Amino acid sequence: MHAYANPTRFLAIAKPLTPWLLGLGLLLVLGGAFAGLTMVPGEAKQGETARILYVHVPSAWLGMGGWTSLAVTGLVQLVWRHPLAGIAARAIAVPGMLFTALCLATGSIWGKPTWGTWWEWDGRMTSMLVLLFLYAGFIALTSGDEGQRQGGSLSRGAAIYALVGAINIPIINRSVVWWNSLHQGPSITLGGSSIDKALLWPLGLTVLGFSLLFGAIVLMRMRRIIADNRVAARLRRLADDEEN
Amino acid sequence: MTGVISGNGQWAYVAAAYILTALLTGIVLWTSWRAMAKAEKRSDALRAKNRRGDGQ
Repeated sequence: MHAYANPTRFLAIAKPLTPWLLGLGLLLVLGGAFAGLTMVPGEAKQGETARILYVHVPSAWLGMGGWTSLAVTGLVQLVWRHPLAGIAARAIAVPGMLFTALCLATGSIWGKPTWGTWWEWDGRMTSMLVLLFLYAGFIALTSGDEGQRQGGSLSRGAAIYALVGAINIPIINRSVVWWNSLHQGPSITLGGSSIDKALLWPLGLTVLGFSLLFGAIVLMRMRRIIADNRVAARLRRLADDEEN
Repeated sequence: MTGVISGNGQWAYVAAAYILTALLTGIVLWTSWRAMAKAEKRSDALRAKNRRGDGQ
């Protein structure tokens, strides 16, 4: 893992990988969305609104997956002080918050024609809203802090915040089982799926596509932070040279 | 159908969800790409300037 602590070595992989993730991600998302809108039938009970599934489910998974990655990078930063862990955590926060917000918004849009309400303070929706606030808190905590000025590492407090916030992930996952909810129970589990195969396949495309786009956004944001670090280091060196 | 809105009225909600997703994802992708390209351009320019300075 420490082999990639060197930003130059990391960039040798990240630079060619970024356009591939971006291109393939866009292709899969567009293909999956097209299929979800035109090639599959409406769902028997919910009708056409079930097509929101193809953007809502990837958003939910990436919002939760983003925070899980944030907690892992926080742990790596705390235990091994890996120089790229803090940079990765900072890069994950914005796309993580984006997909959490999209999950809430598309879920709300789906809820109105299905349940007759935009919002309900039940376990699933409330815990997802808590995740959105957690992301906002992390971004506020790490924007313009000392770590950002010194190469992008996370402060001890921010790393612990990322770890503690991960408690919310299993709560979101189990909320529909633990509490009564308007939200349906788990449709896709390790044991299989309750969604008919005729409706399921475009979801595979959009989940993979949005995941690749998430990866592309993270790499782009990491590359920006590394480039900013290099500029700051060179400017410091120039200032030192002028002084001597 | 268990939904409270049925028929063609449902498509407006589907369209709203897809347009919002495309718009927000597009904005984050675009701003991330632009910020990265700008920062890397600045870094490369400064490195080239440093090299010219070292060569003199």
